[in-house]
Amino acid sequence: MTKNKALLWRALAVLFAVTLIAASCGDDEGDVEVTAPTETAAPATDDEPADTTTTVADVVDDTQDGDLLDTVLARGELNCGVSGSAVAFSETQPDGSQTGFDADYCRAVAAALFGDAEAVVFTPLTAAERFTAVQTGEVDVLMRNTTWTQSRDTEVGMDFGPTTYYDGQQLMAREGDGFSGASQVVDIAGAVVCTNAGTTTEQNIADAADAAGIDINLTTFEDFDQVTENFINGACDVITTDGSALVGRKANQQPAGENWVIFPATPISKEPLGPTYGQNQSRFADVVNWTVYATVIADEKGINSGNVADMAANPPDAEAARLLGAADDEQQSNMGLAPDAFYQVIAQVGNYDEIYSRHLNPVGLTREGSANAGWLDGGLIYAPPAR
Amino acid sequence: MTATMGDPAAGAGPVEPWDGERGPAQKPEEPSLSAGEWLGRNLFSSPVNSLLTVVFSLLVLLAVRGLLNFTFSEERTWRAVKTNMRFLFTHAYPQDQYARIWVCVGAIAVLSGLSVGLLARAGRGISMKKLSMNLMATGGVIALGIVLREPSAIVDDEGVALHRDASAAGGDSFVGWLDANAFAVLVVLVLANVALAVWFHLQGTYLRGGPEPRTAHGALVLVSVGVLIVQQYATGEVVRESFADAMSDRAWWWLAAALLAGAGAALWLGLGDARRRNTFVPAMYVFFVGAGVMVLSAWVYPWGHYGFLEGEFINEPGRTVAMTTKLPWTVMLVLLVATFELGRVLRAAGAGPKLRVPLNLLWVLTPFVLYWAVLRDPDLDWDHVLSTDLPMAVFFAAFGGLVVWFLAHPRIGEAGRVIAVVLVAVAALNWVAAYFGWYPMLQKARISFLLLAVVALLAHNFAGDRAQRMKLVAVWVATMAVFHWLVTLVNSPSTVDTPTDALIGGFGITLIVAVFTLLLAFPMGVLLALARTSKLPIFRVLSTAYIEVFRGVPLITVLFFFTLIFNLFLPDNMTLVDIAGATIGFSLFSAAYLAENVRGGLQAVRRGQYEASDAVGFTTVQRTLFIVLPQALRVSIPPLVGQVIATFKETSLLAIVGIFDFLRIADKVISAQSEFLGVKREGLLFVSFIYWIFAYNMSKHSQRLEKRLGVGER
Repeated sequence: MTKNKALLWRALAVLFAVTLIAASCGDDEGDVEVTAPTETAAPATDDEPADTTTTVADVVDDTQDGDLLDTVLARGELNCGVSGSAVAFSETQPDGSQTGFDADYCRAVAAALFGDAEAVVFTPLTAAERFTAVQTGEVDVLMRNTTWTQSRDTEVGMDFGPTTYYDGQQLMAREGDGFSGASQVVDIAGAVVCTNAGTTTEQNIADAADAAGIDINLTTFEDFDQVTENFINGACDVITTDGSALVGRKANQQPAGENWVIFPATPISKEPLGPTYGQNQSRFADVVNWTVYATVIADEKGINSGNVADMAANPPDAEAARLLGAADDEQQSNMGLAPDAFYQVIAQVGNYDEIYSRHLNPVGLTREGSANAGWLDGGLIYAPPAR
Repeated sequence: MTATMGDPAAGAGPVEPWDGERGPAQKPEEPSLSAGEWLGRNLFSSPVNSLLTVVFSLLVLLAVRGLLNFTFSEERTWRAVKTNMRFLFTHAYPQDQYARIWVCVGAIAVLSGLSVGLLARAGRGISMKKLSMNLMATGGVIALGIVLREPSAIVDDEGVALHRDASAAGGDSFVGWLDANAFAVLVVLVLANVALAVWFHLQGTYLRGGPEPRTAHGALVLVSVGVLIVQQYATGEVVRESFADAMSDRAWWWLAAALLAGAGAALWLGLGDARRRNTFVPAMYVFFVGAGVMVLSAWVYPWGHYGFLEGEFINEPGRTVAMTTKLPWTVMLVLLVATFELGRVLRAAGAGPKLRVPLNLLWVLTPFVLYWAVLRDPDLDWDHVLSTDLPMAVFFAAFGGLVVWFLAHPRIGEAGRVIAVVLVAVAALNWVAAYFGWYPMLQKARISFLLLAVVALLAHNFAGDRAQRMKLVAVWVATMAVFHWLVTLVNSPSTVDTPTDALIGGFGITLIVAVFTLLLAFPMGVLLALARTSKLPIFRVLSTAYIEVFRGVPLITVLFFFTLIFNLFLPDNMTLVDIAGATIGFSLFSAAYLAENVRGGLQAVRRGQYEASDAVGFTTVQRTLFIVLPQALRVSIPPLVGQVIATFKETSLLAIVGIFDFLRIADKVISAQSEFLGVKREGLLFVSFIYWIFAYNMSKHSQRLEKRLGVGER
């Protein structure tokens, strides 16, 4: 019994000593923890729960308090939210890379920020999770064919950049059923109209039918692949969604011997698509917005990735000189960017027309005559002056 | 004899012993039946059975034909799956780092080979009779498939099938007539079968086993197949090639069928009936030969290559794109065979029992090491490792070793308990401190301390002599070494740079999430089951509440919570990565179900077992670990494996919470690539096939496990 007691006391003494040591060790660790983030780009992140399959989040998320631009510049990579499954806008290729119109605008912003168009981490997001991803700081900016609406701008707490693509809901039907490009919504009275469920397209077509005073037989499917399948096998007379998607489907899936037509010429809804980011991050927003404007201005002035080096050496006018960082009164430095930020955008990614033609022409979407033509050609693509 | 449970025959007396009690040696030796006799006894034994046989064979043939026509139709774009093969399995994992994937596969091959060679009961293997029958049956099924599938459509230069004139369809030929009346012809055939059956029955010849009725019915099935084949020419609006052309186009398939059936027939004819049934080959060798033929065929015909390299599609189907498929698989097969043989040698040397525990430990450790050390390739910050990680690991190993050494002293008695409780209190205080931010400390110090406290609580159950205590200390030191190493790896950023935010996706993520879910959920489930059957009300109530809550909530809700909502509750500088969230959600959910399965097993352990272990002076922990759990888990194997398969398949829900798993790539991503717009069915069929292969193998394995452990027999 006495031996046991002695053992107990000895053990307790050792334990006490060791606890003291452990506690003091802990204090040291604490200091390291506090100072590390300011000293190194990759702080010690031992505070992560150890039992999770985390790839270490080595960046502090402070969309609420800190300045997003500084955070992103310190990180050296842009986290860009895309769809990953939107034809011609952001497609995931078999090697995992992202291609498309939206993906290229992610690259353009990265080129402006870091001078490296490949410094992007793409985060493919579903429609449901896209705004949460911005709010939690998982992504810095959304390039995910997101329509600019009043509720999203206010209630949801997003801010929207300049529209890069003016889309609108249209209808598609078979020429053999008596439809043509000049058909109107009234012409589809009594037809089986198909679209995908749970989207605004469903509401839009119902509203348009009401406005035209016709009855339609509206059928919905889970996704647009199924809608197209049912259109091909004849279960649907008319299908409807954003015009850009319809053109892509027509180009790729129209069977031989049939001719699909898209109408009405004026879409039944407005769908302006562009970059989306969290509220109240003006400096970061400026960078995204002016990256888009830079591609548009470059397009107006005929500056493209092929001739940008010459243009920077011999600027056609003062605005181009400022934009390409070839003049002393350039504004990029005031934005927290390198003077040649937009030069890099044009050189590495291209101007608006290049980006558009590269991805949207192959699926049959052209700028001529559409809202996406430049303002000088009667379209809506317009940028404020760079001065 | 515990076999009486639930077996009505047992009450009837010993006259008719049921199969389970009759050893294999007692089975009467019956000579094999000839094919005709077998058919007569099994498929055409009575008029009604004959009718059922004919009708259901026709239905099966129709279904198989539909599946074949769908799979091999010229409308299928299988190139979409082939091109995206690597993408489907590993998503965006970089090509220049691909060796890491193969290292992982190799590690699993090595472990599997060793385990099977070392531990599996060899049994008698597969009898030659079964082998040859299986070979012949496979050849026959392939041949039937070749004949059943409709002839390919004739396509133009652009791959679009030619359509026949509407006026030409049907026509006055026999084929046209048959096409128009195919359904009627089949109905007539079935009716003829009924009439035949009735006639033979009235004649009284049916049950005497004469050959006529069987021949007649067999002929009917063949005629029906013929109708199906002939009808194919005129099916639909598409122009199809002739039957002879179709058969010669499928020469490779004919060759495969002939080789398989030929090999089977050679085995069958080469051995007498007695030798066929009494010669056995190990199942693994059969597998090796099969896998070897597959791998070899990849060297001969380039079916294993994908056609996408550095941003370019390779359209030439015959062109070899890098040595990325056949060479690695050859190496994997060689590794598997070599380690299997090594395992057998070790077993022959008597190392089996000694290596069983280390091997099982390796299996548990492998997923962690493969994921964090091999796939993620951590970028270790050596300054931090040497200044902090290493000293801390050494400290906890030494200090904890000392504590364990003390507490495992056989005469420690109450003192040990007091120390252990103090340790638990300190460990708990550590976590409270973490919550209030009182004194900062590395999380892994807190976890190590908690582990130590738990070990301290259990130590006196393993008290023993010097050697025994040394063993305990060694186990503790090894645990600390592995734990601290892994935590250091987890906390280091990865050097593998992928174009997206996820390291790996596709089937890789399916497997990783499933494996980690099981590793987390299994211990949790066992603990929950024990808590639910505990005598302490607090444990019982908490565990019951947990189980009922998680079983009452849909899995998808749990997943949404952990991937989308949970992050909003975390402090500013913490985020839970999607995959981690999903794994936690799956684990918590599966644990509730596993707990109920284990509880069923616990209730099957008889009261006498508890009393007996009390009688020999076991503590509660000893009784649970050594007496109750082994019996309970053995009983619950079938439901546990059912749960494992369910969890594996449920990982497809990852697609809905936005993780690029196998299913989401096939369903959403491939169909959005410009080249393969809307191509979806091929991917879905392929994905189901892969899921089926894995689930089927798991279920087969559990059947073997049940047999080995004698579940349901004793």
